[in-house]
Amino acid sequence: MKFQLKNILAVMALAIAFTSCSDDDDNKITGEGSIKLEFDNVYGDADFAFNTAYTNSNGEVIKATKVKYIVSNIVLTKTDGSTYTVPKSDSYFIIDEGTATSTLLELPNIPAANYKSISFGIGVDQEQFNLGATGQGDFLTTAQNAGMMWSWSAGYKFVAFEGTFTSSTVTTDTSYMVHTGQTGTSYNYNTINIDFPENAMVRTTITPQVHIMADVKHIIDGTNKISLTSNNMGGMGAMIMGGANLPLITANLSNMFEVHHVHND
Amino acid sequence: MKTKIILLLVFSLFLSCSNDDSVGYENIPIDFQVPSNFPPVNYDFVNNPLTEKGFELGKKLFYDGRLSSDGIISCGFCHIQEDSFTHHGHTFSHGVGDAIGTRNAPPIQNMVFQTAFMWDGATTHLDLQPIIPFTSEIEMHGNFADAINMMKNDAAYVKLYKQAFSDGEINSENMLKALAQFQIMLVSSNSKFDKYRRNEIGGTLTTDELAGYSLFNQKCASCHATDIFTDNSFRNNGLPINPSINDIGRFRVTELDEDKYKFKVPSLRNIEKTAPYMHDGRFYTLEAVLNHYSSGVSNTQNLDAYLNNGGTLGIPLSEIEKMQLMAFLKTLTDTEFLTDSRFAEF
Repeated sequence: MKFQLKNILAVMALAIAFTSCSDDDDNKITGEGSIKLEFDNVYGDADFAFNTAYTNSNGEVIKATKVKYIVSNIVLTKTDGSTYTVPKSDSYFIIDEGTATSTLLELPNIPAANYKSISFGIGVDQEQFNLGATGQGDFLTTAQNAGMMWSWSAGYKFVAFEGTFTSSTVTTDTSYMVHTGQTGTSYNYNTINIDFPENAMVRTTITPQVHIMADVKHIIDGTNKISLTSNNMGGMGAMIMGGANLPLITANLSNMFEVHHVHND
Repeated sequence: MKTKIILLLVFSLFLSCSNDDSVGYENIPIDFQVPSNFPPVNYDFVNNPLTEKGFELGKKLFYDGRLSSDGIISCGFCHIQEDSFTHHGHTFSHGVGDAIGTRNAPPIQNMVFQTAFMWDGATTHLDLQPIIPFTSEIEMHGNFADAINMMKNDAAYVKLYKQAFSDGEINSENMLKALAQFQIMLVSSNSKFDKYRRNEIGGTLTTDELAGYSLFNQKCASCHATDIFTDNSFRNNGLPINPSINDIGRFRVTELDEDKYKFKVPSLRNIEKTAPYMHDGRFYTLEAVLNHYSSGVSNTQNLDAYLNNGGTLGIPLSEIEKMQLMAFLKTLTDTEFLTDSRFAEF
């Protein structure tokens, strides 16, 4: 008898669970809204700023003067696991630390729903590259204006990170330039997947703002440590724009981004 | 009388207005035929269907110096039709502000049958290839925003973009698509050699030419493969390295040691017309080229295996064999292509 009661209770609990689920069900939410993505560059546990000295794990002191990256192919995942893909031709952006307006993306025409995670690419994907000019609209113009066209390879810089550095052996300010993009050996595009700490509730009346922290440190000082000092060829500066370092830097980007919080208002 | 004139003027205003409004997409397809002796195309025409207006726009862009920073250097400045779209006589070409590069302007012909472009294969998509010379500081030093602004203020361009593309937009996408259409159409396939290969009238080779073709197949065709005469690979053909330039070739793209001093195997079509030769234009005559292969090959890093037979460098060639090879190479001259009025600047 007791056992049966337990069963009944369990069934009742399940029923309540389902009912409460259906209360929240996305199907009841209709229409479209917008979502805002804020890319907030940080360095480790500090806010990121130009011309500020940061010491990396190689003991190098770096001061950046440029941080730019291409964000592309944004996909939002709902709490039920289904996804919304921002139309490809509207899904290429250049985030530029030096241009405040570029760090806040507002994406329109998002189906109203509760979203739990986001994915986006850093760079321009190979599928797009293989289409040639098709579907690019005027993004090449935008990229050239932003200094993100990689002219020599007829493509894009996916990440541009530049400034000066010193180290125990490089005692005067020496320039560094880190550019990633397609090379003859690797494509160097990376897809970032990150969960939201709380759901982003897109409604006709609510435009959630997703606060993404982008830790610039990870570009050369992440899972893979790239030494500027050992890339300082002939004292002319560390020019990292190809070869084996680019896939390592690309892999580092996987841990560069996290969603700090979501505003639903 | 006065009113009549005014009426006429007003009327003509309306006419010109309505003419402008009626300009729209003119989808007159160009039927692109692959010559029967050619390899397959490496291009997806679905994304950029060839049309007469698209080609016309591409040609206008190709010959328009206003795309460059100094308003003078067009694509056609360094790629001249009668020289099979090379810069005849120029080891290196001069770009904007008389800047000089370090590589010889290659011919533009049969592009759609190739898989990589530029001497080091820096790009693999024909649509995107023009970005390199267009934006290079030592070539056209062009800027997309400036070029688009110029074209938006040019009635002829405004009209052509509307006719060439269904969206009618003047943007970098359509600009590159039109340039691709023009380059795709630059097919050289009617040389004496082609006619020989296709058993057409005018395709009878002389004894020397036939002997040269036979030698070519034995000694050259491993790299200069197929009837477009390139296997699309990158190789070091044993040129002594010029220390003042030290061009590392394909290494620039891959940063692999095994790619140092390798350059794209060029096509040999219209070779009689494309002097000077090699990536740096160091040889002024075909005789000098053949002499290089027979006795000038240098054992530099990554020398191609075909050019090093157990320590013997190069390709052994007698004087008679050189003469026969020369005779064969001249059968690759395609006068029809070099004088085709569809491609001409004027």
